[in-house]
Amino acid sequence: MPLFGSVCLAFALVLACYCLVVGIIAAVRKDAVGYRLSETARRAGMATFVAVTGAALALVWAALTDDFSLTYVLHHSNRALPVPYKLAALWSGQEGSLLFWSWLLASYGFVLRLRHKVDRRLVANTSMVLAGIQVFFLVLVNFVANPFGLMDRVAADGNGLNPLLQYPEMVIHPPMLYLGYVGFSVPFAFGLAALMMRYPGEKWIHITRRWTLVTWIFLTIGITLGAHWAYAVLGWGGYWGWDPVENASFFPWLTGTAFLHSVMMQEKRGMMKVWNVWLIFVTFMLSILGTLLTRSGLVSSVHAFAQSSIGSWFVSFLGVVFVVCLVTYIVNYKHLEAENKLQSLVSRESSFLFNNLVLLAVTFAILCGTLFPILSDWVRGYKITVGAPWFNKVTIPIGLFLVFLTAVGPLLAWGSTSYAGVKRNFKWPTVFSLLVGLALVVQSMRPWMGTEHIRSWFVWQDLAGFPPALKLALKTLFSLRPWKALAPIFDWFGALNLGPYYSWFALVLSSLVFATVASEFIRGGRVLQGKLNTNLLAAMYALSRRNMRRYGGYIAHVGFAVVVIGLAGLAFNQEKEQEMGLGDKLQIGHYTLIGQDYTQDDNANYGSEAALLDVYKDGQPIGRMNPEVRFYKASGGQADHKVAIRHFPLEDLYVIYAGKNPDNGHTIVKAFVNPLVSWVWVGVMLLVFGTGLALVPNAVAVRARVPQAVTAPSAEDSRLQPVGASK
Amino acid sequence: MKRLAEILLLCCAVALLMGADSENVRFQRIGGKIMCTCSCAQMLLQCNHVGCPNSDQMIHQLRGAVHEYSNDQDVLNFFRKTWGVAAVVEPDTHGFELLVWVLPPVAIALGLVVLFVKIRQWRPRPAQPAPADLPLDPHLEALRSRARQETEL
Repeated sequence: MPLFGSVCLAFALVLACYCLVVGIIAAVRKDAVGYRLSETARRAGMATFVAVTGAALALVWAALTDDFSLTYVLHHSNRALPVPYKLAALWSGQEGSLLFWSWLLASYGFVLRLRHKVDRRLVANTSMVLAGIQVFFLVLVNFVANPFGLMDRVAADGNGLNPLLQYPEMVIHPPMLYLGYVGFSVPFAFGLAALMMRYPGEKWIHITRRWTLVTWIFLTIGITLGAHWAYAVLGWGGYWGWDPVENASFFPWLTGTAFLHSVMMQEKRGMMKVWNVWLIFVTFMLSILGTLLTRSGLVSSVHAFAQSSIGSWFVSFLGVVFVVCLVTYIVNYKHLEAENKLQSLVSRESSFLFNNLVLLAVTFAILCGTLFPILSDWVRGYKITVGAPWFNKVTIPIGLFLVFLTAVGPLLAWGSTSYAGVKRNFKWPTVFSLLVGLALVVQSMRPWMGTEHIRSWFVWQDLAGFPPALKLALKTLFSLRPWKALAPIFDWFGALNLGPYYSWFALVLSSLVFATVASEFIRGGRVLQGKLNTNLLAAMYALSRRNMRRYGGYIAHVGFAVVVIGLAGLAFNQEKEQEMGLGDKLQIGHYTLIGQDYTQDDNANYGSEAALLDVYKDGQPIGRMNPEVRFYKASGGQADHKVAIRHFPLEDLYVIYAGKNPDNGHTIVKAFVNPLVSWVWVGVMLLVFGTGLALVPNAVAVRARVPQAVTAPSAEDSRLQPVGASK
Repeated sequence: MKRLAEILLLCCAVALLMGADSENVRFQRIGGKIMCTCSCAQMLLQCNHVGCPNSDQMIHQLRGAVHEYSNDQDVLNFFRKTWGVAAVVEPDTHGFELLVWVLPPVAIALGLVVLFVKIRQWRPRPAQPAPADLPLDPHLEALRSRARQETEL
């Protein structure tokens, strides 16, 4: 099998090289010979998929059959490992994950080449770009990180899979994330190919729309599964720690989101062509950067499961990609002239512009924080740590502005929106969100009373402080004035807790998103209600079916707002750690935990210790929780926490087995009450659902149920457009 | 309108002034900026590493430092000196580390400037007056009038 895998990989590299070189020749020659050559290149590309599949199957087979003659299998599996985790061994190590990257890319390429009739010339050029990427990864797996390396002696058992990865979500999370990372190669290849051949019109945008949306969905699911894994396995009580590898997965997501929004301007108005091309270039490059950060060990991370010198290969590849993109752009930029101009600052177009600016600003800020340790290492000789407090201070204000734009954007019309239109569209949503803000204050969420006041309800954790850059700017401004004596006030100001304010604003702005989306559905539904002679709900459904893209997008916005509500809960986490002997009580929030027993277990894969705790909420029993720690034998007794979590709509009770007191043998239990965490998961589901709806084709025709014929309005009916839309 | 703005500003100032910190809140907040140095890659107050050799000592030192220093920066500087620069996860606002604080807002400001410049370029200019509406040059007009007179049949 190892020989078969190696031969498949070598064969795949030859085929990919053929696809690339002949693809280039065919692109240069535009005659009949060129056409035939491009057809052979296409077939070679499809055959690459077969060859890489053969190699991937060979590795999976070796893992399933405990073939420890393979170095890779020896280091990432063992006999007692459950079968699903043996399957996951394919992507748990450096060599396997690169092979997995290659296989996913080959799969995407296979589907693309199979659907070449959509536009033969464009697909031929796109296939050539994909082949270039494929060659890079196949060179890596053939010569730098070959998964079929053999041991001198065959060991009796393997070293086992990293215990942190022995969790059901880990079987799904990496494939989803990789489907997202790799998937951006396709719109990138389309964009580059379209620019190379000066492709007329926006057809490449239409073709790539589905690819981009599906890729974005995969990446969203992958990131969320990773966050849930961190929450359930790492045992620190949170799900997003601004870890470099977490950030790396976030970069392409952010720029991909910006791309999904800005392409609408190109489709509808023929604007932002340069911007869109560079956005997809940057998104692809950030996907490669993400893989580099995860795989090279360049930054220290709890998610980085590999350290190697492979980084220089990725850096070189990034350089090549950048140069190719830049040269292609310089040669062809005149082709990207906008067809329309912005008519008004108060318009859908300008809201997209600001949305893109904010998303790129967040990306840049996170990129700065993630790469700053590397920069400081080069410049100063030591790594300065940039952690969660910095990321929170920098990104939360920008993020809140993004939520505001999410609320405002859909109510603005294409072209321009009149003042009367703005007033009419925003009146009720604004009133609603202000009422929500007031209700929160009435319900004891009063940020100005300080965190001590809220402690009885929630406890403020780490979103504290005023952005120091703003503080610095204010200080500088003040230093120019005679009233310098006031400067110390800013030191005091900087030490204030703004977290509760941020949370309050997040909740108010999220309610504004709900209100604007609801108003859009209701207003459109009312127009159709009269036409179809039906009730409002049915009219709203019919409305959505007529423009799935638009209304699916609105549902995705609602999902985003729900996620923001979940994030707002972070500010109020509570935690408590305590020794728990038999009958001892731990009180946290509404919950009382009583120590009942302590158990140990042992099986072929791991030994474990667990505490058995009876749990009461407001004095009422709600069941038993068993936080556990496992010590994996094949990994030399490496510990892994199995957190016990109880989900409630408004909060999670999260309990960790933190160890034993060596003096008295009592277990140490750490408990957290994490408000609104479930909202994050539900919000992501809505986000994915809404985006999925946007992929569904519109209903072709809707029949009126009234006896007489009624002309159904089109989706572009002016009455379905926001009030104030220019004619 | 000016009065309303003043009242709003005053309300904001009062609201912020009321948010005074206790020592325990400062402990939680500063603890969220310090990383456990046992290489567990977790924040000090979140470290659940069984038998961690450093976190207990660091937490004890944090309580003492919060009590001793009234300024958060002094507490963080104490930890930088005692446990190394990497112990504090919030970069300093002086020297080289200031760069990481300044870069994002500068980039946003630049982005906004570029955006507004582009928007100004894109927005349609007021239409140029038609040639007929242009003010007449008296010298040219005199020449035209003479030409008309001289060519009149």
